[in-house]
Amino acid sequence: MLILQVLINGILLGGLYGIMALGMSLIWGVMNIVNIAHGALIMLGAYITFWAFTLLGWDPFLSLPVTVLLLFLYGYLLQRVVLNLIVRAQLFITLLITFGIEVVMVNLARIFWTSDLRQVTPAYAGTNFSVGGLTIPYVRFWVFLTTVILSVLFLLLLERTRLGRAIRATTQELRAARLTGIPVAQIYAVTFGLGAALAGAAGALWGMLFPITPTMGGALTLKSFVVAVLGGLGTMMGAIVGGLVLGLAESFSSTYLGPTYPNAISFGLLVLLLIFRPTGVLGRREQG
Amino acid sequence: MSTKRWVPILVGLMVVLALGAAPGVVSPFILQFLINLFMLAVLAESWNIIGGFTGYASFGNVAFFGIGAYTTAVLLTRVGAPFALALPAGGVLAMLFAAIVGLPILRLKGHYFAIATLGVAETMREVVYNLEVAGAGTGLVMPILRSPMPFFYLMLAILAAVTSLNWWLSESRFGYGLIAIREDEDAAGVMGINTPLYKTIAFALSGVFAGLAGGVYAYWITFIDPEAVFKVIITIQMIIMAVFGGAGTILGPLLGALVLASVSEWLSTHLVTLAELFYGLIIILVVIFMPKGLSDLIRQRAFSLRYFLKNLREYRI
Amino acid sequence: MKHGSGRRWIGVAVVAVVLAVGAVAWAATDTIVLGSAISKTGKYAREGKFYVDAYTMTVDAINKTGGVKVGGKSYKLELKMYDDQSDPNLCVRLFTQLVTSDKVNFLLGPYSSGITIPASSVAEKYQIPMVQGGGASEKIFDRGYKYIFGTLPRAEFYFLSATQAAVNLNPPVKTAALAYSNEAFDRSVAEGSRQLLKEYRIEKVYDEQYPPGTQDFTSILAVIKSKNPDLILVAGHAENSLNFIRQAQAADVNPKMYVFTVGPPTADFRQALGKVAEHAYGVTPWLPDMDIGGEVFASAREFSKQFKARFGYEADYHVASGAADVLVYKFAIEKANSLDPQKVRDAIASLDVETLYGRVKFEPNGQIALGQVLIQIQQGKLVPVYVAGKFVAKPIYPMPKWSQRK
Repeated sequence: MLILQVLINGILLGGLYGIMALGMSLIWGVMNIVNIAHGALIMLGAYITFWAFTLLGWDPFLSLPVTVLLLFLYGYLLQRVVLNLIVRAQLFITLLITFGIEVVMVNLARIFWTSDLRQVTPAYAGTNFSVGGLTIPYVRFWVFLTTVILSVLFLLLLERTRLGRAIRATTQELRAARLTGIPVAQIYAVTFGLGAALAGAAGALWGMLFPITPTMGGALTLKSFVVAVLGGLGTMMGAIVGGLVLGLAESFSSTYLGPTYPNAISFGLLVLLLIFRPTGVLGRREQG
Repeated sequence: MSTKRWVPILVGLMVVLALGAAPGVVSPFILQFLINLFMLAVLAESWNIIGGFTGYASFGNVAFFGIGAYTTAVLLTRVGAPFALALPAGGVLAMLFAAIVGLPILRLKGHYFAIATLGVAETMREVVYNLEVAGAGTGLVMPILRSPMPFFYLMLAILAAVTSLNWWLSESRFGYGLIAIREDEDAAGVMGINTPLYKTIAFALSGVFAGLAGGVYAYWITFIDPEAVFKVIITIQMIIMAVFGGAGTILGPLLGALVLASVSEWLSTHLVTLAELFYGLIIILVVIFMPKGLSDLIRQRAFSLRYFLKNLREYRI
Repeated sequence: MKHGSGRRWIGVAVVAVVLAVGAVAWAATDTIVLGSAISKTGKYAREGKFYVDAYTMTVDAINKTGGVKVGGKSYKLELKMYDDQSDPNLCVRLFTQLVTSDKVNFLLGPYSSGITIPASSVAEKYQIPMVQGGGASEKIFDRGYKYIFGTLPRAEFYFLSATQAAVNLNPPVKTAALAYSNEAFDRSVAEGSRQLLKEYRIEKVYDEQYPPGTQDFTSILAVIKSKNPDLILVAGHAENSLNFIRQAQAADVNPKMYVFTVGPPTADFRQALGKVAEHAYGVTPWLPDMDIGGEVFASAREFSKQFKARFGYEADYHVASGAADVLVYKFAIEKANSLDPQKVRDAIASLDVETLYGRVKFEPNGQIALGQVLIQIQQGKLVPVYVAGKFVAKPIYPMPKWSQRK
């Protein structure tokens, strides 16, 4: 039945959107940095997966931990060396610098890896299974499962570990956190690293489904904005819920209104949400 | 009226007159460059009104540019209206759009405002992509005007107008009100400033000039499509030029546009594939080492390493 | 007195003539510069490269075989190419620079209809001919411009051979789905295809426009699958076709036939998809192993061999089209026997010559009149299936279902 297929498609894609936005939501919530280079980080994760697959023959699901680790290190260094310099500056300063970083990353990728379309095509790509008249591609299904696992792991990290507590303390009360001896610069760096790691994971998963190019990140950054705001900025669970909501909204609007509507709808939704319910679906009432 | 007030006016007039003589002197290529430069300067100065003076960092001003461009283009091509009508219509529509959208959106602050304006711009692009009367994805083709002169003078005039407006803002009560909103909005409200009205007017003023620039652009470049006139990078360019020159100052955005547009042009012709890479590096360095812009640098006559290092340390954690 | 002044005037006249001849001789260069702003970077970088390489090789080949002859003199061809970064705005400014500042003789086109539409306005404004091989939308040619010429066939008829073949297959195609990108070229293709489907009495069960950057066709495929058409027509860029096919496999969509405007004829497309590309149809005005040819390149086969040897990849119709653009100038300039833009323009308009690309002859509106060959990918190879109104090979039809393929 078409409507069930549309529903399933929306959920599967929604999981991926959720993990994509999780990294952005974390960085935004903790450090009040809107990371315009988020899409570039996703792109980096996708390329690492591609090169691991093409040059070393590593299965993309198996190379995922490596991608995550590499992106963590990259994000950590980026925050430590560059972004920590402007953390306390006005809003548009941070927006501009992350924009500059995005431009540099995309151009470096273009120069070194060219604009050729890259794909990760393991032997099982394109295979699918049927359930009650519905066709579900294997890769999408496993990608979805992976996003669920990663989300759970991440939430556990945030709620149950010392590091997680330190991060949450820094978010809520910066001065108090400093007074209790939490090394804020370090925490920020780790947080950005985590955000980058999540973006990298999203990129690895994305790269299994869609072609990889240096400029793939731009549209994904915008999408991540929409999801993060939808679910509630700064709340992690919100990013996941927001992802599912967007995935379903896109799937249904594309099918029943036409393929050119989802984009207009998602951005229109973003604007309306910000006006009427800026805290999103799950967010608490916080300062701006 | 002290002489001090007249000096800048005279200087401004002389510059405009000098530039006005340019078409007879410079090569057609430089002329095209100047038209583009004036347009970027107009955009930077228009952003300055809401972003620099009022402190509301809008990330969606390209929406006004695009609306101006499309209104003019549709009137020119579908309705057959003369340009003298189509252009002001573009400006007016952009202004109305800014005012109407501004009412709910200006209630937001900080990041929320920035993202909301970005969302508005993106929504407009998608809407136009779906509008058949606007040519949808195919775009609109304007009739050709062989001479670049009208465009040169028009852009120059619009630039002179928006710069004068910025100057007026820096001297008027209204402008002081905007600055008060930027520095402490709650206090400004307490002091009796009608902050929603002031903000909306600033936004609308920002919109009308961007819209006019868009209208001239459409006729000049002879072809527009949604991608060309609604892309995010145009807003970013506006902001980076204003910031580079000095957001909140009168001549800062103009200066920023001049320097960055020239640098960009030089990079494009001499470094070609590396041009964009260097542009990104420049943005990063500017933000770290001179976030207050060239104006501040010049005003403090601080061409020293110490100035840059101070900026480096100012915002860090 | 009269004698003296007369001799003085003769003296002045002689000096003047000597100076003039000297100036002309000194000023006369023996190169003809062809200028272009082409997508070396940006979203069209891949296709832009085809044209850069094609222009380069053809210019070199012409120079090797004696250059271009005007007024008894042999001129060398020279290229001046800028990168438009796939940006229409930048492209317009670069073409303006080429004409006004670099003062090139003639113009070669950029890639893509969306960029060629505004760029051609520059040619028209300054009345310098532009020959392009990267834009097929009728929007380029329906403005009454006199200085723009194109070697890609009309967008509206891209699917003509496909539609004709479809109704002559056994069992004939009865229903079709049409999906196209929201861009100049693809919208033109769609408009034309609607007429074609109506004319050939194929029922259109799906007709949707998708956003240009679309990568996820899952929803579109889900709806198409529910309508179960015999034929799917997809207008978009290579990336769209690639994604569509991959996702059609994942979603188990099994039409009897699917045809793409871009993708199948190009080697890297087939390589990227591997076996998954099997049985897909495409259209091309040119094939690398045809025997057609003319001056400079004896045959398409010869051209392809030289191209592959020099650049390391297979030439496709983009490349051949680009080569034809340069050849047009050689023939037109020689025909006009002049470098005057107006005269060359007239010569191009009345040109009728055989080349490695096929017969180059432009319609009054400036667009070439060439048919498209329907090709199918069979065992990794491009097989021409239907051309000029008849089958030239047996298509594998209907396409085997995904579950039945090895």
